[in-house]
Amino acid sequence: MASAPLIVPERTESTDDVSELDQVWNVIVWNDPVTLMSYVVFVLRKLFGHDEATATKLMLQVHHEGRAVVASGPREKAESDVARLHAHGLQATLARD
Amino acid sequence: MTEPVRGVAPTRNGGVTVNLSVRERDLLRTLPDQLRPLVAGEETAPSVAPRLYSRGYDDDGLNAEYQELVHDDVVRQRTAALDTFAATLDQGGVTRGRWRVELDAEQAAAWLSAVNDGRLVLGALLDITDESAWEDGPDEDNPASVVMYYLGWLQEELVGALMAALPDE
Repeated sequence: MASAPLIVPERTESTDDVSELDQVWNVIVWNDPVTLMSYVVFVLRKLFGHDEATATKLMLQVHHEGRAVVASGPREKAESDVARLHAHGLQATLARD
Repeated sequence: MTEPVRGVAPTRNGGVTVNLSVRERDLLRTLPDQLRPLVAGEETAPSVAPRLYSRGYDDDGLNAEYQELVHDDVVRQRTAALDTFAATLDQGGVTRGRWRVELDAEQAAAWLSAVNDGRLVLGALLDITDESAWEDGPDEDNPASVVMYYLGWLQEELVGALMAALPDE
């Protein structure tokens, strides 16, 4: 399925910075004037397993406030979530919490 | 026997049944060849590319690193979906001017992806930069605008049918 997680190659550089590894990254979905609201709800449910009410609340936050944090976690997980959102054509970035 | 309803309906295996006029199918058949070079990045238009493919980070350096890692995979998934969409448009059957095709879950997801990409490209070509653009409805004199609204209807149909297959917990 198109929902198959992307294979994100391991980063080659290593870091000794423990605080960097502990850092929480937020997955942010941004509003755009073309994407259908129902499609955003569908993608959030499909990718993150949100129930309809939670996905709708997040979608409305994107719609009204321009952005919403839809998931949080370690950087690699957040980056893989962003890539899955990009595969579905949504505007999404990750940023430190 | 009642006539099948125009649109998209869920099937029991997580897929959908698409029921459209032959004219609608023929319109959809024109999309893959127009979209493929843009989705594959072979043709770039400054207004189209950022709509199809989002940044991963605000920071330019981190974004470049991210794109290096995943952009090709994202493009591959989207072009593969477009190819599946194109292939299924040649399947199914026609009865009295109606075209009907059954899609499995993967093919239905490919349709959703292709239709969404079509809308993103048209959104750029029509220069839709604000949601107020939707207040006036389609511009009947502009084929791109009419197709944009048509794809919006089709995408709502697909989302509605596929949403029914999602577990609600």
